[in-house]
Amino acid sequence: MGFREALNSKKFVVTAEIGPIKGVDIQGIIEDAELIKGKVDAINVTDLQSSVMRLGSMAVCHLLIDHAIDPIFQLTCRDRNRLALQSDLLSAWVLGIRNVLALTGDHPTLGDHPQAMPVFDLDSVTLLKVISRLNEGFDMVGNQLKGAPDLFPGAVVNPGADTEAALDMQIIKMEKKIEAGARFFQTQGIYDLDLFEKFMKRVEGFKTPVLGGVILLKSAGMAKFMNKNVAGVFVPEPLIKEMEETKDKVKTSVGIAAQLVKGLKDLCQGVHIMAIGWEKKIPMVLEESGL
Amino acid sequence: MIVTKKREFNELMENIKNYRSIFLLGCSECAALCGTGGEPEVKEMKETLESEGKEITGTFVAKSGCQVLGTKVELKPFKEAIDKADCIIVMSCGAGTQTAVELYEDKPVLPSNDSLFLANMTRLKVFDERCSLCGKCILDKTGGICPITRCAKGLINGPCGGSREGRCEVSKDTPCAWQQIYSRLTKLNLLNSLKEISQPKTKPFRPRRQIPEDLKLKKEPIKKT
Repeated sequence: MGFREALNSKKFVVTAEIGPIKGVDIQGIIEDAELIKGKVDAINVTDLQSSVMRLGSMAVCHLLIDHAIDPIFQLTCRDRNRLALQSDLLSAWVLGIRNVLALTGDHPTLGDHPQAMPVFDLDSVTLLKVISRLNEGFDMVGNQLKGAPDLFPGAVVNPGADTEAALDMQIIKMEKKIEAGARFFQTQGIYDLDLFEKFMKRVEGFKTPVLGGVILLKSAGMAKFMNKNVAGVFVPEPLIKEMEETKDKVKTSVGIAAQLVKGLKDLCQGVHIMAIGWEKKIPMVLEESGL
Repeated sequence: MIVTKKREFNELMENIKNYRSIFLLGCSECAALCGTGGEPEVKEMKETLESEGKEITGTFVAKSGCQVLGTKVELKPFKEAIDKADCIIVMSCGAGTQTAVELYEDKPVLPSNDSLFLANMTRLKVFDERCSLCGKCILDKTGGICPITRCAKGLINGPCGGSREGRCEVSKDTPCAWQQIYSRLTKLNLLNSLKEISQPKTKPFRPRRQIPEDLKLKKEPIKKT
């Protein structure tokens, strides 16, 4: 059963995430993927995450398909104009990619090539519209395609936006994304389930599945770093303390993530686990959370 | 106005190392306000270059350096000084420099400034970019605050997820344009206008030209070569 079918079947869906490496040594990626295969419904492949030049998302998605894993092709508006975005979507389809996550993308100044031209010819909303249009058999200016794809488009939302205005705008944009064709959402990492519950109450009327994000805490330092630098992520002090005091970081980290997954099970339609290098620990998280 | 910034002096000296005599051309509009090409700066440049052993054959501050015909008329009395000069240094924006290029085909013309952006002067000598001359105004839809210019990603359908405490992910010194749009539309009770999907903008192709309909029919004056 692919990702789309899993979502349609109303089961609690699990996705994971792989960040391609800088270089061509793909052995590690394949090992990680093989290890979590069968335990997750799909694996997202990031698109030059943090604006750092790396191996591409489309190629890694294709490799996952070779290993019988359903990938979610992350596609940002940062590096491609509307011609390249549309062409890459068609290319992804012929390579067997079925799911695509439309994102704005980080600004290039945050990455390792800060001199790069930021493109942003389209934004995440208009990119979703383009995907819908391609699925209907037309490009964005109305030219007919010879053979249409049937991509399954998703988008992201940040339930932890730190001001009321920012959260309001996230929700307004979420509605626009749905109108433009988004069929599922994946969120930024969640640590405060009460806050997330409030968010879900506001968006449950949208009737679009939400996969709550879980980021594995690898250390107290990482938690503090995210609190300072990652928009929408806030790790509460008690969790930081737990990571600081533990003798077994992996066990504690897996325990925290499993608790979050358990909590999310009652609040939304799935989880999106971002292990950030600890992909091998994902089966432990799922086992401990009872999934 | 067009903001300009003085280039490094060594860069200028490198560019004029083969020229001995120079005519200096400033501009009384934007460059004067920026302190890069008004009367005092032109005078200072003259003195500096003279102390470096260059001969200044003449100086002039144009009324509007980007106005080709007006500047041509203004410069008529300086014909001799310009003829005598090995090169012209233009102390205005890139448009002013290219006015001189158009007027003096046989003379090297060099810029003393870098041209930065179209700006609002928000405090004395402080310049902020508010409009990027994109060609199709959307200020009517965004509470009068331009996301094409003031959002680092030029997003038209709301913010990215990167802002923190109302600040842009690119720089903590920059407010998130969408946060500003939200605040203003809330005050004006117009927040609903954000719910409509905005279409991707048509990108201008360069070089752009604006010419009245009736002039399009007339033949353009043919330039003597």
